[in-house]
Formats: sequence, C-alpha cells, structure tokens
Amino acid sequence: MKVVSVHSRVDMNLCKGCRTCEMVCPVYAIRATREDGKPRVDIDLKKCVGCWNCEQRCPEHAIQMIPCEPYTLKTDVSSFDYKVIEDLCRKARFHPKQVVCYCSASRAEELAAAILAGAQTPDAVVLATGIGAGCGIECNQPIQRFLEAAGFRPERRKESFQWYGRTTTIWEVSPEVQSKHRVFRFGEDRQLMDRIVDAPLKS
Amino acid sequence: MYAPTISPASPRRSQYGVDPQSVSQRGAGLEGMTSVSLKELIRGMPPIIYPDGQGEKLIRERTEAALARVDFSMIKPGNTVNILASHHGFTFLGGKPYAEMLRTIKDVVERKTQAREVRLRAGLGMRFRETEEYIKAHGLDEYFQGQALGMAPIDAGIPIETSLGTLYGLRRAYDADVIIHAHNSDVREVHFHRQVDRAVKPFGMSYARAETRSTYHMNLGPRAANFVARAIFDSEFVRSKYGFSVFMIMSPAGVVSIDADNDLYAINDRVTIGGMKDYGKIINLFGEIDECIVVLDFPCPVPYVFAAGVIYANMIGANVDLFDLDNPLPPYTWYTETFYDERGEPLIPDIPPVNPAIKMVVHNYAWTGYPATFFAEHTPTIMVGQEQAELFNRDPMNLNYMKHALLGENLRMAMDFAYRTTKTDKVLIFDGATGGVNVSRSLADLLRKVAPQVNDRVEKILMPKWLAQRNINLELLSQAV
Repeated sequence: MKVVSVHSRVDMNLCKGCRTCEMVCPVYAIRATREDGKPRVDIDLKKCVGCWNCEQRCPEHAIQMIPCEPYTLKTDVSSFDYKVIEDLCRKARFHPKQVVCYCSASRAEELAAAILAGAQTPDAVVLATGIGAGCGIECNQPIQRFLEAAGFRPERRKESFQWYGRTTTIWEVSPEVQSKHRVFRFGEDRQLMDRIVDAPLKS
Repeated sequence: MYAPTISPASPRRSQYGVDPQSVSQRGAGLEGMTSVSLKELIRGMPPIIYPDGQGEKLIRERTEAALARVDFSMIKPGNTVNILASHHGFTFLGGKPYAEMLRTIKDVVERKTQAREVRLRAGLGMRFRETEEYIKAHGLDEYFQGQALGMAPIDAGIPIETSLGTLYGLRRAYDADVIIHAHNSDVREVHFHRQVDRAVKPFGMSYARAETRSTYHMNLGPRAANFVARAIFDSEFVRSKYGFSVFMIMSPAGVVSIDADNDLYAINDRVTIGGMKDYGKIINLFGEIDECIVVLDFPCPVPYVFAAGVIYANMIGANVDLFDLDNPLPPYTWYTETFYDERGEPLIPDIPPVNPAIKMVVHNYAWTGYPATFFAEHTPTIMVGQEQAELFNRDPMNLNYMKHALLGENLRMAMDFAYRTTKTDKVLIFDGATGGVNVSRSLADLLRKVAPQVNDRVEKILMPKWLAQRNINLELLSQAV
C-alpha cells in the first residue's frame, strides 16, 4: 500500500526529448514524442505513482515533483479467500506475511491479492499496490516471481527498460555451483528460506 | 583526562538532506562529550596516508606506485576504457582521496596506453543523483572531459550469462572495450556481504541492474547472495572486458594505502584480512556497549552514518558476530527485515533482535534515499526538526519513517528527553569524526576498559575462525598482523 502525494511535471523549456523519463516510468504513464521537430511529453497523471524515477533520471533536470491530492494504491487482501492467497504466496516461495517492498512495507499477501484481482504485468502490480513505486529496485524479483507462479509471462517492451526478466532463486542453484563454492553456504541458506516460507500463519 | 571532541564531518548540500544551514547543533557540541582516539582502542592500527596533512599528494603517489605493478597490455591502441567507481568511495573523508585516486588512474592509463577514451562510470545505491553530485563537487566532469557519468540500477541493462543463469548489468558500465574496477576496502555493509568477496561485490551491485540487486536481496538468502557478484565477475562477458582493479585500502582511521592488481581475487584476500583485523575489532568493541543513546549526525542515509570508521548498520547488528558465517542472519539485513510480520513479530523464533543496547536514537542529521523505516520501528527514535521530518515524509522510500518516530524541536531538547527516558548517560555519536570517536565520558570509560580484551579476542580466537570459514590462508594472516 502506498499513499501517492506527488506527481511529476515537465518543464518543456528544458526537455530535449531524450525519452529517458518514458523508459524508467514503472507504469508507462509517460509518453515522449516529437511534434513539429520539438519534444513533447505527455504524462498520464491518473497513472503517475509518485516514484520520482523520471525526476531522478532526467539528464536535463526538466522534471519536478509537485504535491497533489493524496490517493492510495492498495489491494484489499480481505476481498479474497485467504487460502488462495496463501497458496499463491507459497508457490512463489514467499511467506504471506513476508515483506516484499521495503519502501511501502507491503507484504506478499497484497502482491498475491493484486494478481488475483487481475494484475498480469509488473506495471499493473505497481498500480494496484504501490509496490515498485519507492526505490524501484528490490521488489523487482518478488513481482516477477509472483507473476510466474500465477502462470503469467508478461511480454517486455523491447525498447524500454522498466524490467528485464526473472532470475535465479536459492531453490534453483545448480548442485555444481553449490558443491564448488561451499563458502557461500547455499544449503544452509536454502534451509533458512524454506523455514521462512513454510512457517505457519499466526492467528 | 578527557580529550575534546573531534570536529564532525560537515553537513553537505544535497537533495537528499536538509539545507546544511539548518544543521545548527551537532552532537559533538553537546555538554559532557569527549573523544577517544582509535589508536587507543585498536591495537596495531596501520599508519595512514590520508588525512596526513599533505592533502592528496600521497594518494596520487601511492596510486602511481601501485599501478606500476599492473600489466596494462590488455588495453590496445584505440580502445575505450571505463573506470568503474561507486558512490561509497566518495563518502570517506569528504571524498577527496577517492576522487584523486580516480583522477590518477585516468592519467596513468592515458600515459601508458594509447586508449582512445578513458571515462568514469560511477554506480550508486538508491539515490539516483548521488554520484552526479559527487562528480560535480570534485570537478570530475571537467577532468574526464564530459565523460563522467552516474549510473542507476533502473538505467538500461545488459544480460550477462553466468553460472547462476542470466543476470543483468548496467549497459553503461560495460560500454567500453576494457573496464577497470576502482573501489575501496571499507567493510561498510558487512551485514550484507559478511566479508565474503567484499572486493568483488560491486559487480553484483553498483554495476548491476535492479534485477540483479533484487536477486541479491530477495532470492538467494543472506550468505548465498554473495555469490551473485562472483557469478557476474567470472562470466565470460565480464572477463572479456576486465583489465585490473585499483583499491583504496581503508582502516577505521583513514586511508592506509592503494592496492592494484590484475588478479581481483588476490586483492580480495588482502582486503578480507585487513578488514577483519581493524574493523572486526571496532565492531566487536561496539558489541560490548551495554546501553547507549545513538546520535545520527552525518551526511548519509540512516544506516550509513559513520562513527569510529564504521557505519550505524554495524552498530544495529553488533549484538551478533557479523563476521561469523555460522550466524545465518544479522539483526539487520534486508532478509531479516522481511522476516517480521505486521505486528513486529518474527516469522520464525530465531531471528536475532536489533542490538538491544541502543536505547534511543536521536536523528539529528541523516539523509533520505534509503528505506529506513525498519530502524525507527525497532529502536525508539526522535527526529530533530520539522524540516527534516517533512523531507522524510516526501521521500517515496520513507513514507512510514515518521509514523514510528517522535519529533523533537532541536537537538538539546531531544537529548534531554532521551536522557530522561532511557536513564543512561552513555552516548555514541555517528558524525564521521576522523581518527577517533565522539562519545560521552561514561562511554569513553567503558570503551577504554573493554578494548584490550576485545583486541585479544579478535586476534587470537575470532580471526582464525573467520579466516578458516572463508578458506583464507593463515600465512597471509600472520603477514597482515
């Protein structure tokens, strides 16, 4: 869950039309084009999640974050059968109560609920939960693991770099790597992660 | 006899912190504070070359000397070369020594080779403009003739095939024929890297895309995650571009030397030993503190503020031996953080609590730009000043920080409250004081008293164990000690 309280705004006097903002927006809220040879940037403020990515990466410092009427990005976990949520979490190898986004303190159960509510792509998850609208880094794999566990294989927009792909988890490290590099304690860490994922839900 | 306090690091103008002029009171100026020299606390500290009163002269000389031992033959005429740097290096001692090391590498590469273009590519953590700020502050954009760039983990990526499958680096890091790895040996995030492949870590972090960083912090577990950097560095793609490494070797007191080698793993072994020897003692010494009030007072995000040459995240976890790989989880890592439910209860019973010796945190001056809510949730925290509180409330990574912190009008009032409620007069100030640590007199007495036994324990018991866990040759240990 995230409360959005700022929106981005472009100063077209500074914009050079490089399209970086479009490429880093996690919800594709920005469209950068050219009109009569001049750069044009359209921001869909209904989609802007106030993550600051565009403001932080604009090479011309042409984007500012402006206070807006606050609104909440949230999926209500109680709208779904918790057993179904729990099953999806464990399939993605997360405990339902495990934090999946440090910035919003959102938990795996909300990510699962968002997917059950219809989110089938990373950007849809961000819009439904606010997960991915903070640092934009650490929740990258949880989102992709959940989508895969739910059977979705979203198509990446080739030119952009909002996300690339799912990567390895501790449950998939090859036996060769594990036996060759024992210092990294793959087996013990797998046991730890298993204990977390399989920990019972407290009442 | 109590020494006066050491001047704290100055506040720095940045979009991630409050206006330096707003930082009117510093912890070191509080009544009853003193300083303890690191030489008093750590036995056998190596001599430092910075700060030594000669500016950056010795940094340049030692970098040149270290590079004289390196084979440059992989840089062919007409090649492009990327010097890969990280924001961490700029946070030491005002950033000047690291900037000078980077300048010197450029000069030597240009002198010794016929490289077409030598660029600086500086990675960062979560503050996507931070290295840009450092590049400007140290004039590196001019020095590199416009070829100095910051790189963020959300920038364009490049797939790298590794023994862990496909991972993702930053395209800009690898858009040259040859890369030079320019880093430092400070243990810094030992809670994450556990002093395993410390020297290799930026390949899985500063030079890596969000996918790879998320793999490190979410997919593999607290110790296994450190293999990510090795997997990338050992990939055919990275090895095809890798030239050599240059390291600013740190002790808690300052820069000790410059190391350079074509073999990164040789540097890694040296860095591992040096880091354990000096930093291991300070962190273990912090673990002996029975109770204290912590003052955050340095231009960095909450976990990265410095005292005695180590960061606050090390103090948060000082109740557990962070170097001992038999301990699966430090009290603070991002894995640990995810393992608490919404009521603050651990998902499994053996999650170590954050250091119970920290009775209260007075947040006098520390930046946004890192998800720090966990710290305020787990330790009573007073934020100093409305302006700073508002900055945190605007930060998308810290929207919940102030929900767990009190607000104090100024430092003195916050400290009065902390003294009254915690009933302790021991104060530890994370303000970047160089060569020592600013503390209250009562804490100075405690540190002096326990330091000899901590030195003994680290040298005779812990270091042999730590090194054996990492398969590091004990002969190297004897040379280092």
